[in-house]
Amino acid sequence: MNISVFYLIAFLSVFFSLMVIFAKNPVHSVIYLIITFFTFTIHYILLNAQFLAIVNFIVYMGAIMVLFLFVLMLLNLNKETEPVKSLLVKLAGVIAGMCLLVVLAGSLKAISTSAKGNPSTQEVVQNLDLGTVKYLGKVLFADFLLPFEVSSILLLSAMVGAVLLAKREKTEIS
Amino acid sequence: MEEIVKTIQGVPLNHYILLSAVIFSIGVVGVLTRRNAIVIFMSIELMLNAVNLLLTAFSAYSGDASGQIFVFFIMALAAAEVAVGLAIIVMIYRNTKTTDINVLNRLKW
Amino acid sequence: MEAQSSAVNYLPIIFQMLVAIGFVVGTMFVTHLIGPKRKTKDKLTPFESGIEVVGNARQPFSIKYFLVAILFVLFDVEVIFMYPWAVNFREFGWQGLIEMFIFMGTLLLGFIYIIKKRALDWD
Repeated sequence: MNISVFYLIAFLSVFFSLMVIFAKNPVHSVIYLIITFFTFTIHYILLNAQFLAIVNFIVYMGAIMVLFLFVLMLLNLNKETEPVKSLLVKLAGVIAGMCLLVVLAGSLKAISTSAKGNPSTQEVVQNLDLGTVKYLGKVLFADFLLPFEVSSILLLSAMVGAVLLAKREKTEIS
Repeated sequence: MEEIVKTIQGVPLNHYILLSAVIFSIGVVGVLTRRNAIVIFMSIELMLNAVNLLLTAFSAYSGDASGQIFVFFIMALAAAEVAVGLAIIVMIYRNTKTTDINVLNRLKW
Repeated sequence: MEAQSSAVNYLPIIFQMLVAIGFVVGTMFVTHLIGPKRKTKDKLTPFESGIEVVGNARQPFSIKYFLVAILFVLFDVEVIFMYPWAVNFREFGWQGLIEMFIFMGTLLLGFIYIIKKRALDWD
């Protein structure tokens, strides 16, 4: 049952991410992206990574996507059609993306055939507590303490950058 | 509980890698074919999420929590990136009245 | 020993979401199906407290809202970082508390910067 759920959700992920890049209206793109992120949340739950599922739900769907929608509304894109690239450039882009996909899939195939019977590629989760908040917290504060503190500096710099960028215009006007 | 281990076992890791590769490629195509800066930004988010899923799958299949911690940091980074990036896009819009990236093909005008 | 939770434990949530979405979609579909439809021009206009509709709904609004939204996202991430610490609070003890205070102190610097820059002022 779980296997078919995975394929269903994987199909939905691919379908909605395709809709994101092919939707004409940017607002529709944002909505499809939210649905895509929701399918990713289900993927995380299926992988037993519950904490990441919640974080994905709160941060990505709750905050980041709202910010995207907010900016679209702020920019007041009333006209339905946006400028489109020429067909040639579009075709080249699609071909380049497909080439990347072929390379990735081909290398994956090469690895999996060369490593046939290697149990490390098919190893299964043993620790059911792996994705819980408690376990991740222990690992985070034991092995990843420095990245944790550095990420606070990252957030600080993002705050300063956002304030500087968004505030400047207002002082000029007033 | 045994059943859950079995069912997770049912999906080979290769399929997760393939799914992530497909979604990453879709993100690349989106970056290459669209001209609206916000849609390009959303495609980049799609690529980040494909990598997140792949790292989580690796972490779950190898029983090592480091991958999930890494995804956690990537999510924090994505939030910071979105905050600064969208502020830049808003400033660009205020200066040029458009989000079309073809207007921005000169560094100075 | 706390209960181990896994994907199966989310099944009730999925059921609840299915029922909620199904109810909304079902009622909307049924009312659409069995309700009478008399479309006049006045009925199709957006309702604006009886006043004539003026202009477009998508007006550009102030950038101040945007700044608040951005800062909300950043502090949202900060709170997310606190969950793994809060769950293990007793085990980490004083050391964990000091580590968390360093983290929050850095972000407090950012908050002081925001206040000093008067970014949240709504003049």
